[in-house]
Amino acid sequence: MALEVSGQIIAGKTGQILVREKAGGEIEIGDLLVAEEDGAYVILQAYELLYGSQVPQLVRELLAGMKLEGLGADLDFLEPQLRNYVIAQIKAVLRVSKDNELKIPKTLPRFFSTIRHVTEKDLRFLTKPDNPVYLGKVRSGSKVLDVDVFVNGKDMLTHHVLIPATTGRGKSNLVKVMLWSVLAQDGLGILVLDPHDEYYGRHGKGLKDHSNAKQNLLYYSTNPVPGTNTLVINVRSIMPSNFQGIVDFTDAQQDAISLYFNRFRDAWIENIVRGTDIGPAVAPRTIEVLKRKFDTVLGVYLDDDGNFQCRSGVFSDSAGMATTKEITKALEEGKIVIIDTSRLLDEAELLIGSIISSGIFHRYQRYKSDGTLEGKPVVSVVIEEAPRVLGADVLSARGDNIYSTIAREGRKFKVGLIAITQLVSLIPRAILANMNTKIILGNELSAERQAVMESAAQDLSSDDRTIASLDKGEAIVSSNFTRFAVPVQIPLFENYIEKSLQPKEKNKTVFVG
Amino acid sequence: MFKFAHLGDCHIGANRDPVLEKLELAAFRKAMDLCVQEKVDFVVIAGDLFHANLPDMYVANEAVKKMREVKDADIPIYVIYGSHDYSPNGTSIIDILDSTGLIKKIVKGEDIDGKLRLGVFTDPKTKAKLVGISGRKAGLEKNFFEILDREHLEKEQGFKIFAFHSAISELKPDFLAQMESIPVSLLPKGFDYYASGHVHRRNESGFPGHERIVFPGALFAGYSRDLEDSAKGEKRGVYVVSFDDKVEEVKFHEVSVCEFEYFEYDVSNKNSMQAKKDLLEKLGRIEAEDKIVVVKIRGELSGGKTSEISSSEIKGLLKENGALEAVINRFGLTSKEYVSIKAMGEDVPTIENRLLRENIGAVKVSIEELKGDKGAQLALDLLKILRQEQKLNEAKKDYVERVQKHAINTLGLEDEV
Repeated sequence: MALEVSGQIIAGKTGQILVREKAGGEIEIGDLLVAEEDGAYVILQAYELLYGSQVPQLVRELLAGMKLEGLGADLDFLEPQLRNYVIAQIKAVLRVSKDNELKIPKTLPRFFSTIRHVTEKDLRFLTKPDNPVYLGKVRSGSKVLDVDVFVNGKDMLTHHVLIPATTGRGKSNLVKVMLWSVLAQDGLGILVLDPHDEYYGRHGKGLKDHSNAKQNLLYYSTNPVPGTNTLVINVRSIMPSNFQGIVDFTDAQQDAISLYFNRFRDAWIENIVRGTDIGPAVAPRTIEVLKRKFDTVLGVYLDDDGNFQCRSGVFSDSAGMATTKEITKALEEGKIVIIDTSRLLDEAELLIGSIISSGIFHRYQRYKSDGTLEGKPVVSVVIEEAPRVLGADVLSARGDNIYSTIAREGRKFKVGLIAITQLVSLIPRAILANMNTKIILGNELSAERQAVMESAAQDLSSDDRTIASLDKGEAIVSSNFTRFAVPVQIPLFENYIEKSLQPKEKNKTVFVG
Repeated sequence: MFKFAHLGDCHIGANRDPVLEKLELAAFRKAMDLCVQEKVDFVVIAGDLFHANLPDMYVANEAVKKMREVKDADIPIYVIYGSHDYSPNGTSIIDILDSTGLIKKIVKGEDIDGKLRLGVFTDPKTKAKLVGISGRKAGLEKNFFEILDREHLEKEQGFKIFAFHSAISELKPDFLAQMESIPVSLLPKGFDYYASGHVHRRNESGFPGHERIVFPGALFAGYSRDLEDSAKGEKRGVYVVSFDDKVEEVKFHEVSVCEFEYFEYDVSNKNSMQAKKDLLEKLGRIEAEDKIVVVKIRGELSGGKTSEISSSEIKGLLKENGALEAVINRFGLTSKEYVSIKAMGEDVPTIENRLLRENIGAVKVSIEELKGDKGAQLALDLLKILRQEQKLNEAKKDYVERVQKHAINTLGLEDEV
């Protein structure tokens, strides 16, 4: 059965093909269209719509005036569908040969060829890869096709992911959908720094509801729910390098930290807080300032009796000795670790991320040097409001931090970032260029759209309007691991997981004690 | 004001060496004497009173004689199983002593609508309420914690003690990072005192809702690592807790039965002969008289075999110099010429985990699932299943079928069988 024609190519050039829309052809911005070529076909995408008319402008103006002024209510164009129409500007995004070979189009589709809307069959090359991470269903304009979009998680995560969008466009819903599919498999370890406590599902559905959650999900919170872990990190787990690029220290303070660390190793913080004298190399004033900084960031201080105390519930001198090791181990076993940082200040959140990310990054560096990295799972770090650590201003003021190091070098060691941000323009181009998958959600800020388009894996230079018109849950996936920038509809997490939820069996327990 | 004593991990019967066995019993006697001297109202032993569920009868008898004295002083002893003296069918020495009335096991529970409801024991004199969950092998008690009816326990009024024998994830030492543990959130909230056992290092800590979690550590030594810790300064002993309707004071009382000496030696850049000569010379100069000397030898020999640094020779020298006993830790010793499989760790699961992950590469198989971390994890999962114990009232045939079924599922062979 012949598929319905939606329009016909009438003019244009590479990247700007003009199509006259058939009356009722329903071409939308973002629509995927197909031009057939003797068994092969080209997939095209509409990015701009404008009116076309055979009737001169003056005549149209006159006709409108007569209707508006009540002089000819019954007046109309003769054969209006022939004389007035919509011109769609489209671009070719992929050529599929007879033997299903995929190529970036280097020639124009045949002149005057008809086009039609894409069908599921046209997209059969979108198969489920190994280590699949689910992103949603293919979307053509606002129509959703029954074609699932997966990306190979190992490829995608080591090459970093950027999720740019303004508030309310469905960033966290997307990440939850992605992580749900990660939970179903081995080989992908994800550290999620969760400043809004929205991934685990404390108050509703969340990753905790996955059937593999018991084995593959760890949740740390300062306010844990039964069965989950208290977020508590021993101050002895903190190395001076963990503060790098996160907390500002003067040169004198840095020198003092180095001296204390060299002298006291893992008890360096405790000794600074105690003000242990290590000679004239460190001025008393420097120590006083460091004490105040540690009090602010870590909540550690000396009480009136001279005992070392931790005010914060997160950093402790008596608990949390194994926390970072347990988290690192879980990530190395391909598990998802969510750290609820919703009750922490920015610096504390980033510091905790730094401690864990540094740990895993340096372990993976060692694995690479001793030749055992191959067998290790990919590890990715989800960081919200990424410019806090990847922003150009932050990097120039404080220097590199572990997150920027991962963004630049992590690929070699199978460690990646999933950076979420509203403000892409703050991140240096060199880092954006390293983020080889961008899952672009709606963004009304022109400068932000521009920054995304300029660094995308595919040419999105004509997609400004398409991105601006993305509705909640709609996204464009531009990746080195997709053959074209795929428009997707991300399912609502609650709907997506519904079919996977199974009632829990209640077994009678025989208690032995 | 009332008082109770809290101790755990006595591991009576752990040490086969006559000297260490004597010290182990001496530590227990001293701890029991302390309880009497302090006039405590009761004693809580948070698991692993004995090193095995059917210990050597000589040491068991010695321990029983001492506990009899405590009992005769009208001080009840409340206990739970530990991971070592646990018995799945109630046939441990703990049960025998419980039946005689010498001690009281404070673990009782039933399944109510899929939740484990624990029974509350009330000490007749102080009216303190005690609830316990026993330890099991390989951290299997975690399953019980997961279905624990916490709310029911939290509603219980009065002065409450929760006794358990499990590592707490947030409190375990970093070298036990791989040990099975439970998060503190699985403990019922609002108890006045959490009397813990299992981890052999002392720790007093607290979290909102779980204000006082106390691990007394090992009383003497269940493992040679405990002796090493003692030699490095870890104090061994008993907590005495004063209370009325709430805890007034928590005081640690050291129980010391001998002195220790710790000596660490790095063999790096020396061959076995040079290292041995140097080590023996240095050991000859230490004060060993009437001490347990712990020698830790680590590093990579530039040549020769690790076995050429002989433990027996070192022990001989130290004993000649008056040492009560010498404990030699050579786990960190390797040689460029000779590689052996090392096993370091606190407990069997830790050692298994480490050995499987370190050595799985030596097993040549073509199936992807059997290689690397995946293969090691599969082996660990399989071991866990094979360790499942027969349930009460479960027929042997059903038990075998259950284990077989779980093992087949774990191996992913459901369709093949």
